[in-house]
Amino acid sequence: MSDTPPRRPRILTEADDAPAQRLDFGWEQAVAPVAKPRASRRWSALGLAAAGLAVLLVGLSVLDVANFVTDQFARADWLGWVTLAVALLGFGLIAWAVLRELRGLWALEAVDAARAAFARNDYVAARAATLAWAARVPAASPSVNALRGANDLDSLRALLEAGPLAELDRATTAAGRVAAAQAVGATVVMPTPALDAVFFVWRGFRLVREVAAIHGLRPGIAGTFGLLRRALFEAGAVAAADVAIDAATQFVATHPLVKTAIGESGKGAVAARRMILLARAAARACRILPSS
Amino acid sequence: MRLAVTGLSRAGKTVFLTSLVANLLAAGQGARTLPAVEAAVGGRLRGARIVPAETQSTPRFDASGHLLALASDPPRWPERTEDLSTLEIALEIEPRSFLGKARGMLAGNRSVTLELLDYPGEWLLDLPMLNQSYADWSRETLARLRRGRRAQAAAAFLAFVDALPAGAPAEESLARQGFSLYRDALRTCRDTLGFRFLQPGRALNPGPRGEAPLLWFFPLPERVTGELAPLLRRRHEAYLDDQRSSFFDPFFRRFHRQAVLVDALGALHAGEEAFDDTAAALAAVAASLRGGLGLFDLLTGQGVRRVGFAATKADHVPSRSRDALLGLLGDLVGRDPAGPLDATTSVHAIAAIRCTEDDVATLEGRPVSVVRGVLMEGGVMRKVYPGEVPLRRPDAAFWEHAFFEMPVFQPPRLDGAGRAGIPHLGLDALLAQLIGDLL
Ligand SMILES: Nc1nc2c(ncn2[C@@H]2O[C@H](COP(=O)(O)OP(=O)(O)O)[C@@H](O)[C@H]2O)c(=O)[nH]1
Ligand SMILES: [Mg+2]
Repeated sequence: MSDTPPRRPRILTEADDAPAQRLDFGWEQAVAPVAKPRASRRWSALGLAAAGLAVLLVGLSVLDVANFVTDQFARADWLGWVTLAVALLGFGLIAWAVLRELRGLWALEAVDAARAAFARNDYVAARAATLAWAARVPAASPSVNALRGANDLDSLRALLEAGPLAELDRATTAAGRVAAAQAVGATVVMPTPALDAVFFVWRGFRLVREVAAIHGLRPGIAGTFGLLRRALFEAGAVAAADVAIDAATQFVATHPLVKTAIGESGKGAVAARRMILLARAAARACRILPSS
Repeated sequence: MRLAVTGLSRAGKTVFLTSLVANLLAAGQGARTLPAVEAAVGGRLRGARIVPAETQSTPRFDASGHLLALASDPPRWPERTEDLSTLEIALEIEPRSFLGKARGMLAGNRSVTLELLDYPGEWLLDLPMLNQSYADWSRETLARLRRGRRAQAAAAFLAFVDALPAGAPAEESLARQGFSLYRDALRTCRDTLGFRFLQPGRALNPGPRGEAPLLWFFPLPERVTGELAPLLRRRHEAYLDDQRSSFFDPFFRRFHRQAVLVDALGALHAGEEAFDDTAAALAAVAASLRGGLGLFDLLTGQGVRRVGFAATKADHVPSRSRDALLGLLGDLVGRDPAGPLDATTSVHAIAAIRCTEDDVATLEGRPVSVVRGVLMEGGVMRKVYPGEVPLRRPDAAFWEHAFFEMPVFQPPRLDGAGRAGIPHLGLDALLAQLIGDLL
């Protein structure tokens, strides 16, 4: 190839002068998400150590208590029974708490799975997830039959959006407004900005739990934290200049009681807006449909 | 983490950033737009979003606006960039280890923020000026202007400075006339000759603040010692101070990764002198980037650590020529062998927006690989033969029939909302190389 002189670059003329369609590489289909194989979990050394510690703590304390119970039985029968009852009650409560946490996390995972199914247009998975969800959420019970009858993804979506989700969104907005009004109040009542912040964190935490409850979720502590930080991430997607948020803020701000408070400081309006934003972001994280 | 995207004007920075943002956001939704990046993070990318605006005083890079323009019918490419703008993208990444996951449940997935910056490429060449005195700058610039084809373009200006008496007074009209002649010369060099080593940048692209008196200077021969010289020197100084405080210090001082975009093919087509000029401009910029790293930056590991050079618009050549394009780029940037300190440097050939398909045609009785795409002008489908791409700076015989301008192609059909990203070539490999280790 080196012996041929380079030929001049040029645009080749062609007879065809008709305007052409734009190129289409079928890109959308090519990049469409596929179900990902679950990333394999690796146990780091620290993770192993932590797990070992947990086993030791639980196992040894169980053994210790068991020994103690046998000792008590040796002393007197009635003493043994009472000790056994106390031990069972204590461990039972702990187990219950753990179970609650796990259930909360599992419910969140289920919602995520449903959303993912909708996102990748997987009708079968989406339908199953929707029906399981509808069984848990009271607001969805009137439309369970209709949902069962929906035989494609779009109608499933439309039914959800028009029925239960609209209802849940309304409830979410209401919860957001209440929190917003309280936040405005707090900026007036609290003596220092530091206390303001404490109130915000506490109220924000509660608001996220309320919104989760509206959506039929009962996240435990870990679940709520997870939800809170996801809500904060989603807050970016809920455009800061969202008209709906402006409208809702306006609504809260014109409430006669609130109006006087807002009049005093611009801080109040900002606080109200944050609460409403948080409610909407939390709702996005709890929704079984990816909101548009 | 700050990712600086540098490049001379028309190298494709704005388009690159637009494609980067669109493809990252799409990847965050699960689309496989950037397979190499996905592989680098081990499929743990959970989300990507634009960090909402706070109270920044710099304009926002309007990625969605550019995307809409590209997707609309008829499509429009971004306008010449007139101002700098920034955008931050947060990537949410699932931790790898079990303990990390447990922590992630409470504190959230790891989030990596990419700071992107778009600016007029002309301004980049003010960087080498920062460490030069007015006298040095004048001498070098005049010497460059008197060489080759530049001399024709700058004939009027050169005649003007050569006719200046040694005792030229600080006359405003003289300064203005000299500046406007100088600017005209720069413009001709840029627009019709394809030269890039043109200073000062704001003479070509004044930016949002428009033309201010501090711009009204031009290189002066040493022989002129009258009152005019100190006036021009003061303006030169004021100009550099202004560029430093409003552009370089706030935006350029600290970045961790750098993508340098080069329109290697365009430089090749613009002829021998323009090609060498581009190489010289790149070398000068690279040298000042290196010099700009203070001891503190080196000790703390701040500053550039990975640099990726990318030949843009790789869709202008058929896929078999892309390796040659890589070689050419390596040659173009590699002539200055001391790369930025201990940086892991790599070269890539990318197309931020793929606008063509490969095809074959018969030229002078021989089959050649060509590219095929819809031209912006007239909207007709055409095959384009971009010429042989040499592996390194070609010899004299090659330049005999250079001077070619690649036609502007229409971007392919795009989903207006950008949900599926933008078809590209090699963008993912560049990104994975630049930021893969941080993810
Ligand atoms: N075919 C093709 N053309 C491109 C590509 N990137 C940029 N261009 C062209 O190059 C021009 C300049 O790009 P731009 O991003 O504005 O350059 P900037 O001055 O560095 O910001 C655009 O208007 C396009 O016509 C690409 O990936 N493929
Ligand atoms: Mg630009």
